[in-house]
Amino acid sequence: MSIIAGTLESTVRLATPLLLAAMGEVIAERSGVLNLGVEGMMLAGALAGFAGAISTGSLWLGFAIGMVAGAALALLHAVLCISLKADQVISGIMLTLLGTGVTTYFGRAWVGRNVDGFDQIPLPLLSDIPVVGQAFFSVTALDYLSLSLVPVIWYLLFRTNVGSEITAVGEDPETADTAGVPVFRIQYACVLLGGALAGGAGAQLSLAFTNFWGVEMTAGRGWIAVALVIFAQWHIWRLLVGAYLFAAIDALSFRSGAVRDAVLSGIDIAAVESAVDFLLNPQVMNTYPYIMTVVVLWYVMRQGNLNELGGPSALVDAYSREQD
Amino acid sequence: MTPAIEVESRESTPRWLDYGAPVLTILAALFVAAIPLLWIGANPILVYEQIFLDSLLDLGGIADILTTATPLFLAGLAVYIPLKAGLWNIGAEGQLYVGAIVGTYIGLNYGVPSYVLLVLMMLASGLAAALYGAIPGYLRAEHDVNEIISSLMLTFAATTFTGYLLRGPLQGRGGQTATDRLPDAAELPTVLHPRLHVGVGILAIAAVLGTLLLTRTRLGYEITFIGSNPAAAKQAGISSYKIYILVFLIGGFLAGLAGIIEIAGVHGRLFESFSPGYGFTAVAVALLGRNGVFRVLLAALFFGVLTAGGTTVAITMDVPNALVDVIVALTILFLLTAEFITDYRLAVTFGSKPDSGSEPSVEGSA
Repeated sequence: MSIIAGTLESTVRLATPLLLAAMGEVIAERSGVLNLGVEGMMLAGALAGFAGAISTGSLWLGFAIGMVAGAALALLHAVLCISLKADQVISGIMLTLLGTGVTTYFGRAWVGRNVDGFDQIPLPLLSDIPVVGQAFFSVTALDYLSLSLVPVIWYLLFRTNVGSEITAVGEDPETADTAGVPVFRIQYACVLLGGALAGGAGAQLSLAFTNFWGVEMTAGRGWIAVALVIFAQWHIWRLLVGAYLFAAIDALSFRSGAVRDAVLSGIDIAAVESAVDFLLNPQVMNTYPYIMTVVVLWYVMRQGNLNELGGPSALVDAYSREQD
Repeated sequence: MTPAIEVESRESTPRWLDYGAPVLTILAALFVAAIPLLWIGANPILVYEQIFLDSLLDLGGIADILTTATPLFLAGLAVYIPLKAGLWNIGAEGQLYVGAIVGTYIGLNYGVPSYVLLVLMMLASGLAAALYGAIPGYLRAEHDVNEIISSLMLTFAATTFTGYLLRGPLQGRGGQTATDRLPDAAELPTVLHPRLHVGVGILAIAAVLGTLLLTRTRLGYEITFIGSNPAAAKQAGISSYKIYILVFLIGGFLAGLAGIIEIAGVHGRLFESFSPGYGFTAVAVALLGRNGVFRVLLAALFFGVLTAGGTTVAITMDVPNALVDVIVALTILFLLTAEFITDYRLAVTFGSKPDSGSEPSVEGSA
């Protein structure tokens, strides 16, 4: 039981940054702008949030500064891709390189320092439920925040006018423009919001998960967030499931020894044992999210094209208005 | 009187911009990179002098530049050739790792004469990485799976799996997360300077073969045709299926070769993060040199100078090595901006223009 409870608890904490960053990416991509710079924006958020919290003495102010840092990088992407019609793939990679380089460069002074991160807030009664209670109802404010953003963003994207306009812009910017939808303004807003959420995801890592800053501490989570969006086929609820699934694999890999013993109890065949040892090796488990994404993409694409998959039709195409 | 900026599409790019843009791009990147240098109290002029001049005046410096440019050029071609066919190979880094793993394994386990062993290592690395690289090509050709995402995911799978191998099956006797040292027979011999391995010869060979492939063969013609006009190419009966898989096979082969040359020529053993992101810098290399194989070579040499010089400066002047990443990113940034300037013309007019919009959007034509 303790393996399950412990795994669940770290799953929630590990799912938060994935969920925040991936929700931001869904918003940007639904408006037709692919942003491969999530990893860079998360790193910027992690360092800026950490430095901000220490300098101002306020965790929430630090978190906000992290969001601003993510949005600042996203603004660069927006100017390049939306206004200058630059290639979204290249610009996104540039953003990740820039975020990695800049945070490594300026982060040196902050290495080795600690912050008293966000506290766990147990909800009365709910947190007393066995197993689940401790995992879901005694977490930090940021975890609650990310979970409560799920229905909010779902509602925004799928039940409001603004959401329809975002979808229209991502599907067919020309028609949307003709219908009077402010295409460029919506794309800018979506990319900036995506950047702010990615920055917040990074700040969660340094302010609530590790409580310190380390070079490249996001460890590829930004890329997993990008993969999650496709995995979830641009839907918010599937994103929630995906983020928890990917986070659970991560959480299990911390406890792979215990899981191995649980799986192998009673089985005494050498071949099975070595196969399980291989499959449950923490390092091997870390490849699962990447391989899963490729397999899911392959599986889904076998039966249709990207549009049927749910991807915005105009993703990656820069929209330029024809001359009147 | 509000100034309005009109953006017009250029009918033809002026000749000076075609050649001047890459140079201006690099200068602009270096100019902006001076800000973080000043921030930490370093003199940008002295730093740049050491990176770009001192390294060129010293045989050891030239050796470092050439050995760094070699994987950058091969990986750059691994991005450039699929790009010619209109595909993005963002997975050169992973293909590099696959090549390094297979080549190192063979180098450690096969006791055959040196020249046989080296050829065997190169071929096996190239082939393994070609097969790994072909996965995104095949998925794109067969099921229209986005090759950017799949090649990228496979990169992270490969680098993570390398971490497993170095803690498990391939771990050396020293207890570190690295393999044993390659036997002498499996290391590339050096010439002229103890740090200059013969692998740099591949710079010339790959440049010639790459140019011939793209400009003198039917395959090269088909690659370029598909990349520039997929619909017309299909009309002409060119199979994108075959081309998509082939460009990724070729790209993977080159990246795998880069991986094993780096191991057998420079490090002598495989360890985690032996590549300082060569496969990602390769995207910048391919982009800066997008107008021809020779330009890709020049771009690889430029980033070679930057990477090798950056390592030196990090040691001697206490400037973080990450400066190189920053300059690479800034180069891509200004490259994208320069591309806009070569494609469009800005016409600033002062006068009354009804509702020019409050956002920094581009109004006008495409």
